Amino acid sequence: MPIKTIRTDVLVAGGGGAGFRAAIAAREAGAKALLLSKGPLARCGASPMAGADFTLDGRSLHKLGFPGAPGDTEEKFFNDIVTQGYYLNNQKLVEQYIRNAPARLKELLDWGIKVVFSEERAIFTSGLSLMDALLRRARTAGVDLLEDAFLIDLLVEGGRIAGGLGLDIRTGELIHFQAKAVVMATGGWHKAFWPNTGMRDLSGEGIAMAHRAGADIGNLEFITFCCNVLLSPPVWRGSIATYITSLLSGGELTNSNGERFLEKFDPYVVEKGTSMEWNKGFVSFATMKEVREGKGTPNGGVYYGKGDIPWEAFEKKSIDIFPNWKYKAMDLTEMAETLKSGGRVEVGPAVEYFDGGIVVNENFETSVPGLYAAGECALGPFGSNRVCSAITEMLVQGADAGKKAGEYAGGMKEIPAGASAFQALREKAEAPLQRKEGLRPAPVRRRVQEMAHKSLSPIRNAEELLAFLGFLDRVSKEELPRLTTTSKIRVYNKEWIDALEFDNMIHLLQAAAQSALFRTESRGVHYREEYPYADNDQWLKESIVKFKGGVFQVEARPVTVTALTPPQGRVPFLEMMKKMMQSRSEIGGHH
Amino acid sequence: MPDKIIQVKVFRFDPSTDKEPRYQTYPVPYESGMSAMTALDYIYQNLDGTLAYYDHAGCDLGICRRCLGRINGQAALFCQTRIKADVILEPAANTRVLKDLVVCKPADKDE
Repeated sequence: MPIKTIRTDVLVAGGGGAGFRAAIAAREAGAKALLLSKGPLARCGASPMAGADFTLDGRSLHKLGFPGAPGDTEEKFFNDIVTQGYYLNNQKLVEQYIRNAPARLKELLDWGIKVVFSEERAIFTSGLSLMDALLRRARTAGVDLLEDAFLIDLLVEGGRIAGGLGLDIRTGELIHFQAKAVVMATGGWHKAFWPNTGMRDLSGEGIAMAHRAGADIGNLEFITFCCNVLLSPPVWRGSIATYITSLLSGGELTNSNGERFLEKFDPYVVEKGTSMEWNKGFVSFATMKEVREGKGTPNGGVYYGKGDIPWEAFEKKSIDIFPNWKYKAMDLTEMAETLKSGGRVEVGPAVEYFDGGIVVNENFETSVPGLYAAGECALGPFGSNRVCSAITEMLVQGADAGKKAGEYAGGMKEIPAGASAFQALREKAEAPLQRKEGLRPAPVRRRVQEMAHKSLSPIRNAEELLAFLGFLDRVSKEELPRLTTTSKIRVYNKEWIDALEFDNMIHLLQAAAQSALFRTESRGVHYREEYPYADNDQWLKESIVKFKGGVFQVEARPVTVTALTPPQGRVPFLEMMKKMMQSRSEIGGHH
Repeated sequence: MPDKIIQVKVFRFDPSTDKEPRYQTYPVPYESGMSAMTALDYIYQNLDGTLAYYDHAGCDLGICRRCLGRINGQAALFCQTRIKADVILEPAANTRVLKDLVVCKPADKDE
């Protein structure tokens, strides 16, 4: 079968907010830009399903015409993001985030997003409103858009990006992309876990292929589990509706013995750790402790109810986000009835956000010339714990990465990729279709997802991580090479897509488990049972995973500091968490 | 252990090999609160890897609308519609089938 070739200047892999914003910026920098959207345009990836909060400093928000917080400063906001990240943040990227957030919000308002409400440091819109605005803008700017298509692997020639191999999912045709620059904007890799809170397309191919192409990746052990995610009934499994309700309305968590287990913790930590987005780090940790002590629910979580809050007061605080208890197309009236009558729903931690990713500098360049990364797939500004908005992150990074990629492409001649390199990628991609017999991908994937959820949960130890790595090694050596498709017809062949994705998921799980084993301390969303303290003397370092000759090598890299000097000494995990909470400025809000 | 098994009858059609559509029935363990999508996931993962339904980028929130189909003849989103008994799952439009439950986009219907 002949391969279709598509030429562009800047190829953007990923159809979420980072990808759209990057493609717009590349186009505005004068480059031809093509965006690959793995699913429906403006309706795939994590962005459309976001709440969605956009955070920025309160003074800038005030200047944009919202109440905001006139007493806020960039310095206070910087302090808060860095302490929330337990000082593991790349401070250059924090500065980039703060500096660019106001302009990104202003343009969104100009492009017509709807603001539902605002507070000191945030506006709340919806992911749909945001994505619709970006799609309109991309069309106006003349971005080329390809739907239901994704990048399988990158082509590198003479050390520089030359394009990549992609798949049109509907037709099953492989596509040879010739591009001078690639912006990776593929988001997280939620699909490597079950349950998860992401859409079904997030399998991390961008991070894995960048790694294979020679870019470093880092801080993969920092995986944020959203707390209070619905675990039952199956129709809602993975929904964050209860998470949002718990944040806005409060409520009560109990274990299978009916104990209010948060009462064991310092009241200050509980108060901050439930009323702000610190809850992802704190409540997920506290929940996993119960589950690991055998006090969990049948689906591996805990119970959530309204506690002794009167229903009217409880409902009032959530109803802006859930008008008539509808959320997106979900009808949550049954859940509301359960809570209203004093009943409980089963909730628990599920994977939601990846703090680590592709290593970039403050221009969003990777170590491979021509390769850029933005948004969740990049190692971003949040260090070991994200409290502020990933929506802001994807937009400030997308805009700069796209602009830089556009400028780079403008000064470059196209370099055709070598035929043998292309042929090798093609053969690897088609292997599952060519194999006459072997293993079906879906059952293998499900086992890996469930194991990943347990082994890389917020509480880890060496024994479990080593067992997981052994398991992944067996899967990677004995099962991955035997994956096959039952049908050999290329048109919308789910098993083929699954097999292609699975390789990347195994790659990232191995990198994350090795990084989690490497980090012999507890910080942010990474807790090691054998090392229950933040080790500020040894571990103010990022874990960088190199990939050479098919082997992972984890190295420590000192954290990038510009303005705020990190603390010293070993501090017990929860004490460090409390200190970080106490370090926050006086500006109010959920972040 | 599941309390009961339901029979899920699914529309199958691959225009590249089949002359006409057919239906295939799969036994699926019933789980309280399951959606039509839960049943399709079960079938795909455990019984039949050739089944096509729009899942590679589904949102499970009813916003991407790519899982729009017919459940017992009624238009519905597979991901948001609960099923409680034997059921028939069909694509939104039998005339524009790309494969099984996945329909063509408006732009590629004549290809």
